[in-house]
Amino acid sequence: MAAPVPPGAPRPGANARQQSPHPNFNPNFQTNPNSLADNMQNMNLNRPHSMPNSGPRPSPFGQPPPFPQSSVTAGFPVASPPMSRPGPPPGMVGRPAVIPAGPPQTTLPANVPPGRPVGLPVSHPPPFGSRPPPASLSSSTGGAVLPSSAFPSSGVSSASAAPPPSGARPSSFVSSSPLTGGPAGPMSRAPAGPSSNGPPAVGAGALPGAPRFPPAAIVSQPPVGPPPSMMSARAPAQAPTMRSVLGSSAVSSPQTPPLPSASSPFPAMTQARPPPLGSPYGPQTWSMQPQQGTQPPHIPGSTHAQPPRMFGMPQQALPNQAMTNIPPAMGQPGAPMSGSSKIDPNQIPRPIPNATPIVYETRHGNSANPPPPATSDYIVRDTGNCSPRYMRCTINQIPCTADLLTTSAMQLALLVQPMALPHPSEDPIQVVDFGESGPVRCSRCKGYINPFMKFIDQGRKFICNLCGFTDDTPRDYHCNLGPDGRRRDADERPELCRGTVEFVASKEYMVRDPMPAVYFFLIDVSMNGVQTGATAAACSAINQVISDLPEGTRTLVGIATFDSTIHFYNLKRALQQPLMLIVPDIQDVYTPLETDVIVQLSECRQHLELLLENIPTMFQTSTTAESCFGAAIKAAFLAMKSTGGKLLVFQSVLPSVGIGALSSREAEGRTNISASEKEAHKLLQPADKILKTMAIEFAEYQVCVDVFVTTQTYVDIASISVIPRTTGGQVYYYYPFSAVSDPAKLYNDLRWNITRPQGFEAVMRVRCSQGIQVQDYSGNFCKRIPTDVDLAGIDCDKCILVTLKHDDKLQDGSECGFQCALLYTTVYGQRRIRVTNLSLPCTNMLSNLFRSADLDTQFTCFLKQAAIEIPTCPLLQVRDHVTNLCINILLSYRKFCATVSSTGQLILPEALKLLPLYTLALIKSRGLRNDGRIDDRSFWFNYVSSLSTPLAIPLVYPRMFAIHNVDSKDGDESVLPPTIPLSSEHVCDDGIYLLENGEDALIYFGSSVDSSILQQLFGFTSVDEVPTQFVMQQFSNPLSKNFNDVVNVIRQQRCSYLRFTLCKKGDPSGMLFVSCMVEDKNANGPSYVEFLVHIHRQIQMKMS
Amino acid sequence: MSEMANMDSEGIDAVRMTWNVWPRTKVEASKCVIPLAASIAPIRPHTDIPMLPYAPLRCKTCSAVLNAFARVDFMAKIWICPFCYQRNHFPPHYAMISETNLPGELYPQYTTVQYALQSFPDPNNSNATQLPPVFVFVLDTCMIEEELEFVKSALKQAIGLLPEHALVGFVSFGTQVQVHELGFSDMSKVYVFRGSKEISREQVLEQLGLGSAGRRPTVGYPKVLQNGYANTGVNRFLLPASDCEYTLDTLLDELQTDQWPVQAGHRASRCTGVALSVSAGLLAACLPGTGARIIALVGGPCTEGPGTIVSKDLSEPVRSHKDLDKDAAPYFKKAVKFYDSIAKQLVSQGHVLDLFASALDQVGVAEMKVAVERTGGLVVLAESFGHSVFKDSFKRVFEDGEHSLGLCFNGMLEINCSKDIKIQGVIGPCTSLEKKGPNVADTVIGEGNTTAWKMCGLNKSTSLTVLFDLSSTERSNVPGAANSQFYLQFLTSYQDPEGKTMLRVTTVTRQWVDSTVSSEELLRGFDQETAAVVMARVTSLKMETEEGFDATRWLDRNLIRLCSKFGDYRKDDPSSFTLNPCFSLFPQFMFNLRRSQFVQVFNNSPDETAYFRMLLNRENITNAAVMIQPSLISYSFNSLPQPALLDVASISADRILLLDSYFSIVVFHGMTIAQWRNMGYQNQPEHQAFAELLQAPQADAQMIIQERFPVPRLVVCDQHGSQARFLLAKLNPSATYNNSSDIAAGSDIIFTDDVSLQVFFEHLQRLAVQS
Repeated sequence: MAAPVPPGAPRPGANARQQSPHPNFNPNFQTNPNSLADNMQNMNLNRPHSMPNSGPRPSPFGQPPPFPQSSVTAGFPVASPPMSRPGPPPGMVGRPAVIPAGPPQTTLPANVPPGRPVGLPVSHPPPFGSRPPPASLSSSTGGAVLPSSAFPSSGVSSASAAPPPSGARPSSFVSSSPLTGGPAGPMSRAPAGPSSNGPPAVGAGALPGAPRFPPAAIVSQPPVGPPPSMMSARAPAQAPTMRSVLGSSAVSSPQTPPLPSASSPFPAMTQARPPPLGSPYGPQTWSMQPQQGTQPPHIPGSTHAQPPRMFGMPQQALPNQAMTNIPPAMGQPGAPMSGSSKIDPNQIPRPIPNATPIVYETRHGNSANPPPPATSDYIVRDTGNCSPRYMRCTINQIPCTADLLTTSAMQLALLVQPMALPHPSEDPIQVVDFGESGPVRCSRCKGYINPFMKFIDQGRKFICNLCGFTDDTPRDYHCNLGPDGRRRDADERPELCRGTVEFVASKEYMVRDPMPAVYFFLIDVSMNGVQTGATAAACSAINQVISDLPEGTRTLVGIATFDSTIHFYNLKRALQQPLMLIVPDIQDVYTPLETDVIVQLSECRQHLELLLENIPTMFQTSTTAESCFGAAIKAAFLAMKSTGGKLLVFQSVLPSVGIGALSSREAEGRTNISASEKEAHKLLQPADKILKTMAIEFAEYQVCVDVFVTTQTYVDIASISVIPRTTGGQVYYYYPFSAVSDPAKLYNDLRWNITRPQGFEAVMRVRCSQGIQVQDYSGNFCKRIPTDVDLAGIDCDKCILVTLKHDDKLQDGSECGFQCALLYTTVYGQRRIRVTNLSLPCTNMLSNLFRSADLDTQFTCFLKQAAIEIPTCPLLQVRDHVTNLCINILLSYRKFCATVSSTGQLILPEALKLLPLYTLALIKSRGLRNDGRIDDRSFWFNYVSSLSTPLAIPLVYPRMFAIHNVDSKDGDESVLPPTIPLSSEHVCDDGIYLLENGEDALIYFGSSVDSSILQQLFGFTSVDEVPTQFVMQQFSNPLSKNFNDVVNVIRQQRCSYLRFTLCKKGDPSGMLFVSCMVEDKNANGPSYVEFLVHIHRQIQMKMS
Repeated sequence: MSEMANMDSEGIDAVRMTWNVWPRTKVEASKCVIPLAASIAPIRPHTDIPMLPYAPLRCKTCSAVLNAFARVDFMAKIWICPFCYQRNHFPPHYAMISETNLPGELYPQYTTVQYALQSFPDPNNSNATQLPPVFVFVLDTCMIEEELEFVKSALKQAIGLLPEHALVGFVSFGTQVQVHELGFSDMSKVYVFRGSKEISREQVLEQLGLGSAGRRPTVGYPKVLQNGYANTGVNRFLLPASDCEYTLDTLLDELQTDQWPVQAGHRASRCTGVALSVSAGLLAACLPGTGARIIALVGGPCTEGPGTIVSKDLSEPVRSHKDLDKDAAPYFKKAVKFYDSIAKQLVSQGHVLDLFASALDQVGVAEMKVAVERTGGLVVLAESFGHSVFKDSFKRVFEDGEHSLGLCFNGMLEINCSKDIKIQGVIGPCTSLEKKGPNVADTVIGEGNTTAWKMCGLNKSTSLTVLFDLSSTERSNVPGAANSQFYLQFLTSYQDPEGKTMLRVTTVTRQWVDSTVSSEELLRGFDQETAAVVMARVTSLKMETEEGFDATRWLDRNLIRLCSKFGDYRKDDPSSFTLNPCFSLFPQFMFNLRRSQFVQVFNNSPDETAYFRMLLNRENITNAAVMIQPSLISYSFNSLPQPALLDVASISADRILLLDSYFSIVVFHGMTIAQWRNMGYQNQPEHQAFAELLQAPQADAQMIIQERFPVPRLVVCDQHGSQARFLLAKLNPSATYNNSSDIAAGSDIIFTDDVSLQVFFEHLQRLAVQS
């Protein structure tokens, strides 16, 4: 919502907004950040739209796991809300409770409270609609839906609406519960709404009902377990809404698969849909290049908006997991493993995806609720703490002393992703405008007002949760306290009840007027780039994204090309044609015009399009092999200096001339073997400081650089990447560049880059409660003073690791607060402060630490630290270090927490049971292998530096699916087939497998694949015909369609188009695939089982 | 005024000397006061000059060219060089020579002959004849729209006038320099150079992508390059006029004024210096020997980068003469040094810089003078690009036909002279090639230390002043009368507008005279007009180069010395003083010179002074004399147009005066005439005569204007009108407010404290006769 909410004012009427398409709605998300959420909702259809107040919507849980039967059961269980009610104790949620729930669930792995079925709970109507019923958490699994549904439903149903929510609800449920066959009512609707549309619509239009309806939720609960279906139910409503279309599809896919009706619509929709609609998820839609036409463009993405994104959540009890999971409740989970010989490879811990989203409330009963795994699919209700998407801690309880932390051997760090993409069903972040005085802040530490500041003395003073200082409440902010000691207006004021809010920045936060949105495109047109088609691909991609740039006069664009000189273009409309301005001095560059190089988009659109069409041919005959990357970005920077903005560079060869020219160090390294052995990692360091110095200057002037490397040779990414890293940008790497298959990805990457939620000229600082302080930040930014990071650009994909240290003891039983403040300018030129708060309990108990450890975050932290070490330490040392980190944690657990005493057993803390697997995968990852190309490794560790937690896991432990049988899914499955462990014993010769890590996707062909399957999926009949370059196509057969659906779901989950490589057994390409089988023994490391044995030995040695 | 020049004593040789008879010794020469000097117009056309289609014969030792003064032994087939007395055998193809069968150069009347050479003397590109000329237009864009429109249209016209094969390049500049790649068809393409940074020739070449290709010809395969451009890459920037006319037209249509913002209270940022060095660098990619000119069109002072003459802050005025005198012009010396380096580069390439400056304020001609003058470039200073002084002059440069300037390239002047004659140097548009020889004097005046000079650009009217000295050693072996003659030979090689290489040889002889014996002969050999011009040129040079030089005093002293030496008088009796007719006009020239813009610089800006001086130095004697002492013609009913005294007394109510001061031409209507004209009598048939009277001076003015380059400014004014000052300033103030009582009715007075000619003469007489 664009409109800021005045503090204290009631939420903006949902109605208003929703009834008509959101005024600000912009498919691209570009509107202000807040609005994103709205947009997202629109897009995704599935999720019922949640009102701000509304409770969590349908939670995914309902969805039964892949297994059909389970689903059924699930559904039922749900029904039994009562169970859930009791709900697990807040902290613990997950574990114990579960059991009671449906049988199947019991088995669920600890983290997730599989048990949730209970969820239903809808339990009590919470006093305030907004507050999540405590139960809800628990409910998450099963009926989680309910509460949420209630609200939403009201909204949603609104359509139908008027009627009390109850009426509406049910229907929703129904639909949701595909499995169950749900209540009839819903069903009917489902069909009506052609399926898919319905749901989305809901999202969009939904809220008429407005928050006010309280907990309608209650009502809803009973019926249906599986919430997801809700969407479908809504169908009717949807139609009216615009988005619905998309949404619908999305919905259906994930959740409803079982229902025939649902499924059918789906497919149809997917294909049929006209691309535009799809756009809602803008970024995620994948439009193909023209040539690729066959594919249904956007839809795909949108379609599956909701798919179960997660991995890792053990929702169901798999047989094998049992072993690992020790009853969580005790906190003692230990997985005994006996000697290697006894290890059953099928019994060792592995990630298990959960298919349906859960609803997660950030706080529960006045204490922090441990977040679900980062890789799982969840919907957050902000009840005081921020969504874990924005900020999560490696341990969900803070050790009171540094000693305790040291003993645990764990890391204490925050992973902050301040603009993370919310789930479509989540509430938008509220915008609070304090007017000219600006937000209320602690006068000592300057911390921003947040729900953990304690008001005392009838509200006249408040105690800062960060520094402990007692401040006077500003007069016009005063409010009396209620009997519970809270301000009476606490629930109306987002800044007092939400973990994340956004403040409108007042003048004092601006050193100048907020900058316009400036996009400068810089394209390499040296011979190589032109001849490989990289230049044409870049031009075409840019040409296509022009329409995605924010509308309005504040959007400025510029373009330049370069080879051994830099060519700017004057796009002013007054000219008959663009004027090319060449800057030939590449040692000491300058901008050729003061004004006309960067012009308003609206003024130059025609020229720009014309130019982009001409560039590839214009340089067709160029024989300039040289490329002056450094000089070119410097020149572009000079052109942008007065405003700042985004600089998007398309580079195709090693920059060989001009400022910051680089040499082919890799080749030199190869010829000089002795040096390369010893100094191998030096090649991973920037060649010199020139680019770094430039980068710092760029950052200072708010220029954010993204580099798209489309090459077939070494380009020294280690050196080049310094620029994007320092300026808050990123490197995109297309190697070896293929003019056939890469343009589509290039376009989609560029489009997402431009349309994703983002901000400019940002400054970020994290504040902690007394006793803890920030030790360091790492990520893509520029740091000029120790306490702040400067981000010329920040977007939803960027994550920053904030390591913490103790500077004092904390009080057991107290809470430790963290506050991340991000001051930034939206693409529409508003200055905002996004404040993200997290308050976690402190503990003196080591076992609490292990129990509340966050595996994904811990591991991401490892990963990032390893990435930092790679360029500076010999590889062996880095690998040892990583292994030791893992061993030390397990050792500490074994030593101090495990009760099982058999020395022959390897005991893993439940929360961290996958740590060894991930550690092994990390050791075998591209960055930590020394057989890779230098550029690949450089790219890898640069990619890691800004990588978010949900993407970090698949990067090292990719997901693998069988796709030769994707047509065989049974009714209850989600679009994604079950994942397969990364072990060659699970790969059959007659299968085709898709392996994806969020960025790349490998398709592996066994040697004896059925030719009819090949024909159906790929259009060729023999493995020998496997081409080297791949373009997704959809053929008219269910197998192909499903395969496309799968890919599209993945794309959507990853916000990445994926770069496909076809691998054939026996080929070098096959080796690439084999090297991804991290559980296998290979040159880079032991097998999973061997590794466990190794760890066990190490622990035993250290114990004794 | 070539018409008059043709009639004068320059004759076929186009050589005029201050003294046509020379004293024999250095001491005697110094007593002559007026230096021994010759003004030559190296390529002035003359119908009588024979064209010889073969190469000249040169003396083995002194390399003087065979000429009419050589003694020839027809039997032995030997000629004796008049300069060094070396006996040279005729080559075989001269075997037919006999007393009745003389080659052209030996005809006594052909003291000047012209050879059409097959090849340029530079051995490097013997094949490179007929290179098309190159014109690079360098356009300032820091001006108001209106001015830019004027200059654009002038440019378009000029390009239309260029010969089709001429190569054209275009550079525009403002804050930055933009080199337009005319050969790029996809879109307009320009190379942009920063205005604030000095850039070397090598950098320019490399950055324009002409690096290796551009240098190759100098290194060495001239033969590969058939017409010189195909392989250099420079043809991206230089296109035949016929090919790029359309492109240039479009380009000019779209060209905008400089888009960089100008702060309030500041001058536009204009990098003339870098623009020139970039253009020079571009031309460096051409083959050596290519005739090329940079035609700079400048609308204001250089304020950016090297060559800056003033800061951007408007509160700081452009330097004045006073600032220069007091050394309060912080940019001046640096700028001059910079333009000097450009001059050197251009000279080494053999290219020309032409400067067309139009602005109300100064643009830095004073600083750029060095580059223009050394390369033999043209210079025109006007107030606006819309003004006829610019428009017509600019057009003239490119016009064909009788009034064409006859622009030639790559000139080289060599001078041979008899023993004991030393050359001090040359004043005028040329550069010393530092070719040492026995005839080089120790003291240097102007471009000296050499017997050869480069004239990258020259035209029909280009003149040079050569200053001679005599050997200081007493000649021991004077063979008496045997060598009563001395010889001077001027060899000028150049490329004519068609690209053909020519060599003009002018050999003159003059007489030695023993002035200790008879000063009579010496007197008769005095050319007062030439002497006055030479004095003006030397004075200007000294004012520019000698610190604290007091020109008026120096001129006065020399005049007094001259009068003392050559006047007839009784000591200390001023009234007895008379001057030989050969000298009689000289004091008046000096009087006017003292009052002229060349000496009284404080009424002018340094730019104007530099401009005047450049023209003074390059024009022929007659024109130069007009600059010093304007001509005044009077038109009245009762008589034919007749020369009038340059005196305020010439003003009369019923006369029209036509003043030609070279830079401006004033048509001045007496009061009565003006009244009649205002009443429209000239339109009445019965007053045909009046109409004709009004018409006559106008017609004469047009005639002068047509002949002259740069086109003079025409001022038409009436007595007592404000514009009348252009006339009054030039007149002898015989009537001022001090003596206004005794003036004739209808005449005028001048409000000045300047001394009149009469007073000047009185003082001169008194001082000349003092012992």
